[in-house]
Amino acid sequence: MSDTTVKKPYVKPSAVAGETKSRALIAGIPARAFILAIVVIWTIPTLGLLVSSFRTQIAIAETGWWHGLINFTDFSQWTIANYERVLFADDMANAFFNSLLITIPSTVIPITMAAFAAYAIAWMIFPGRKILFVIIVGLLIVPLQMALIPVLRVYTRHGINGTYLGMWLAHTGFGLPLATYMLYGYISSIPKSILESAHADGATPWMMFTRLVLPLSIPAIASFSIFQFLWVWNDLLVALVFFGTRRPIVTTRLAELVGSRGQSWHVLTAGAFITMVVPLIIFFSLQRYFVRGMMAGSVKG
Amino acid sequence: MKKLLQIGVMLVIMLAFSVPMLMAGAQAERTVEATNPTGNPWTDGQDLSGTEVILFGAYVDEDAARFRTAMEPFIEQTGIDVVYEGSGDFEALITVRAEGGDPPDIAVFPQPGLMTDLFNQGHVIDLRDWMSENDLRDSYDESWIDMSRHADGAIMGAWYRTSVKSLVWYPPAVFEEEGYEIPTTWDELLALSDQMVADGYTPWSIAMESGGATGWVGTDWIEDIMLRIHPPEVYDAWVAGDLRFDSPEVREAFEYLEEIWMNDDYVLGGAGSILTVPFGDGANPLVMSPPRALLHRQASFITAFLPDGTEVGPDGDINFFYLPQIKPELGDPVLVAGDIMSAMRDRPEVRAVMRYLATGESTRGWLEQGGFVAPHADVPLDWYPAEDRPYAEIVQNADVVRFDASDLMPGAVGTGSFWTGMVDFVSGDSLDDVLPAIDASWPR
Repeated sequence: MSDTTVKKPYVKPSAVAGETKSRALIAGIPARAFILAIVVIWTIPTLGLLVSSFRTQIAIAETGWWHGLINFTDFSQWTIANYERVLFADDMANAFFNSLLITIPSTVIPITMAAFAAYAIAWMIFPGRKILFVIIVGLLIVPLQMALIPVLRVYTRHGINGTYLGMWLAHTGFGLPLATYMLYGYISSIPKSILESAHADGATPWMMFTRLVLPLSIPAIASFSIFQFLWVWNDLLVALVFFGTRRPIVTTRLAELVGSRGQSWHVLTAGAFITMVVPLIIFFSLQRYFVRGMMAGSVKG
Repeated sequence: MKKLLQIGVMLVIMLAFSVPMLMAGAQAERTVEATNPTGNPWTDGQDLSGTEVILFGAYVDEDAARFRTAMEPFIEQTGIDVVYEGSGDFEALITVRAEGGDPPDIAVFPQPGLMTDLFNQGHVIDLRDWMSENDLRDSYDESWIDMSRHADGAIMGAWYRTSVKSLVWYPPAVFEEEGYEIPTTWDELLALSDQMVADGYTPWSIAMESGGATGWVGTDWIEDIMLRIHPPEVYDAWVAGDLRFDSPEVREAFEYLEEIWMNDDYVLGGAGSILTVPFGDGANPLVMSPPRALLHRQASFITAFLPDGTEVGPDGDINFFYLPQIKPELGDPVLVAGDIMSAMRDRPEVRAVMRYLATGESTRGWLEQGGFVAPHADVPLDWYPAEDRPYAEIVQNADVVRFDASDLMPGAVGTGSFWTGMVDFVSGDSLDDVLPAIDASWPR
């Protein structure tokens, strides 16, 4: 089966006359202005953080970040010391490496498992699958904080506390319900006729899964990868409980930089932008799938 | 299709690559060697080299590095590796780890209330099983041992670091220029404040905002005043819950506080700004040029929040004096806070580390680097760098030392209604509402 049979040709609504087009443009101005206003408001905190991250500790303490923009030419306030402090902190390179080592498997494992599970629940007929699905969806509302102590007890008994394996398992467990639910919504919306014809051609469930369902679900898988990656990358709580601080990861190292009494919070401004880099790379490389995937599960067949 | 295969192959490679690192981790394990592992006063003549003791506390970054330096002599002499893990979320995590069966060997509690809770749950070991009280008396004054004692007599830990709370910060340059004298009584302090107002200054910078913990700055003031207007027995009864908040004694303390806090001429930004300024920014107005306020009462740790390059000392940008006494017959009491080391697991090497921590020698590596005051009585003053000696002198010269009351009270009060009560009081609620509400929340 080639890709072209799967993809539907995308027709641009370009057959509209030029006149109606310009009229539509004028009618759209208030909406566009509104969207622009929201975008600006939404971006202001990030802008403030960005400006602050280049200002000295004294400047941050004395005046708001907008003073930095108003008196832009006052160069005594500008500095890259915050970035230096974070980038060249002890163990920062190690922390990035360890964070990746935790985040990548913690993204891949739950998605793989969730894809299998979603396919099985959506398309394979076995007793109890409805109940199984209800249980999985029910687990969505269990806050992970509730599981910390019981899971830690199990980990301590088996000696996987503070290991990478423990982190992968924890994030897999915490991520699976949502992943399964989202992928189920998407996979169950695949037209029945496609799978039936494949079945008629003699395809096994495994072949249908790997050759049909997986390629068709790439948008959903990609968008959930972004969610899960961001969640694991930015996680501090699970890391503190199950991984400890003996081996640094980005979030725990950054939390340490702030100091015992939070006195160096100004380095967080720079830290925020530095840690943002990796998720941004992930986001932009998967972005073309993201918008399509946002509708994952919204329309069910 | 090809793409999927590629992704699959990448995953397999990634997993294969990370599995060997499961247990090893990305950091090389260091090896510890001791030339003579039995020739030390801590291991009871046993050779414990090669073992490891894990400490967990709230020191991070620079503090953590300094603490590790202080452990070096012990590691060199005994061959026991002392591993320190720190987290700013210590308070939440220690409970989770204790409950989850994964406690550290030794916990560094920044407040004894939490330690008492964990002791009551059976997670903390009574030090009397390991060493006699006489051993402890060699290195601590009686008041410190009392502060580590549980109501049933158990010793729950060994004090390791203290911070002095009864300090007032001021910019020495302005004092010299205006000819201000350091006040030695409360009346002189108020007279000085009036003089500053007359000279066109704002005397006090008071900053209380501390997120979910907003209120502790106020409780510190009340505690300091309580120690200065009543004998220590009254303070102890108040901490134990025998003296109610809604009593003439505590009311009197609030009235002293009101005299300064509720005077809009005294407080920078007026009383209304007390709640909104972060406590860490409280001393900054003193070091701005020109200074926007001249007095700030805060513990010794405030220096960590000052802008980089600020010099502390009689000739520096900022200096401190002892918060003056109110009633001369009560002498000079000192309000302290501090960290206490509690053992949570029993192994010979843990006992050895605890013995080390209970001696002044264990603090030397840190106090020589500055920013540290040891509660140990066997620490000579000349170990301190010159800038820290005044703090140490205040502790050692104190007539009465008492621990921050809010840290000793039950959590519902000490980190709950006492804090919120202070916030309500500053917001303008009357004492007739605030004090009975705190009493009502006391678990009895």
